[in-house]
Amino acid sequence: MTLTLTDRYVDATLRRLPGRQRPDIEQELRTSIADAIEDRVEAGAAPEDAERAVLTDLGDPARLAAGYADRPLHLVGPAAYLDYTRLLTTLLATVVPAVAAYVGLMRALSGDATAAGIAAATAGAAITTAVHVAFWTTLVFAAIERLPGRRARVARPWSPAALPDRPSRRARYAELVTETLLLILISTFILLSPYVSALSDAHGDPIPLFAPWLWDSGVVYLFIALAVANLAVSFAKYYLRWSVARALTGALVQIAGALVLVWLAVSDRVLNPQFAAAAGWGSDVTHWTNVGLVIAGAITLVHTVLESVTLSRRR
Amino acid sequence: MLDDELISAHLQELRRGTVVLACLLILERPNYGYALLDRLERGGFAVDANTLYPLLRRLEKQGLLTSDWNTEESRPRKFYKTSDDGLALAEALRRDWHQLDGSFKALHAQPADPE
Repeated sequence: MTLTLTDRYVDATLRRLPGRQRPDIEQELRTSIADAIEDRVEAGAAPEDAERAVLTDLGDPARLAAGYADRPLHLVGPAAYLDYTRLLTTLLATVVPAVAAYVGLMRALSGDATAAGIAAATAGAAITTAVHVAFWTTLVFAAIERLPGRRARVARPWSPAALPDRPSRRARYAELVTETLLLILISTFILLSPYVSALSDAHGDPIPLFAPWLWDSGVVYLFIALAVANLAVSFAKYYLRWSVARALTGALVQIAGALVLVWLAVSDRVLNPQFAAAAGWGSDVTHWTNVGLVIAGAITLVHTVLESVTLSRRR
Repeated sequence: MLDDELISAHLQELRRGTVVLACLLILERPNYGYALLDRLERGGFAVDANTLYPLLRRLEKQGLLTSDWNTEESRPRKFYKTSDDGLALAEALRRDWHQLDGSFKALHAQPADPE
């Protein structure tokens, strides 16, 4: 027995419906199609032409099935769309630069890296991360859109109270001054530490507090450069209008600084072991100093992410 | 010149929802899908079959229609009938429709505000 066009149409529709709905809808749909064909044949059409015309009128079975099952014909609907774009922008603006910076840094510190190699690794990491972030975020929102009962709900209620307020310019200026002073103090302390120290060795030479490796490898200059860049970003935030490029640079610099700090602490490259020995510190002092630095780095990372969220929302 | 597509898009927007009211009113007396489609079409409520059939199910699920299978004829037919809730909704929709009509007429009758 060959299947008629109607059989194939009904099958294509039912295949997309939950099992318990099928028998009822099949019977009704078949009757409706048969009624419509009969009408056209009575009006003088050839049976095949009538069948073809009726099915053409009914349209794509996938669309009909979506109507029966009350399924959305879009990935993310208007109710969730704003939340979707906000989350996606925030994630792209924070996670992607963070991962790219981390990969680039690791590559740069691996020793045998060329500038082209570092750039390629960074760009590759950025693209891969961006694709992952976009895909998984979209998947989650598409799933939420299809949760039962989701479509009856409206978008999150909004009130003017949700409007972000602007910190006063004076308060932000005070913040900027504090930041500048802190940077100058800390940088001076770090840069002077090889020459000025509370402890000295048998020859009377100072024993530096920070590991000499930092100077040998030049990482200390990278760290200070990142701190200066951070300050520059703060100034840009104060004097320039918000832009995607500025926000991205800011997040990138902050994240890079935090990652360098975490990396140094984890690999125990911050404190000079000789200083610890001369000061009579046990290994736990070094350990907890490192833990403290990792926590500080992690807090900076979280802060950067949260700040990017608030600022991109304010847009 | 007004673009035909533009007109039909706006007309469709304006008519959205009127099919529900028409269905609820027609189905005060039980009827089945294809016959209802035919009556709507002849009554000037153009609606696609692939919109109407799922709509009937949705209205039934919302308790605005009830249904019964009639197997006495050559083909088994699902007859829909407007429920008491459906009648109440139809009344509310109809009242709103007339109110809107009155508002439009009032708009037309009023002289434009002097600047």
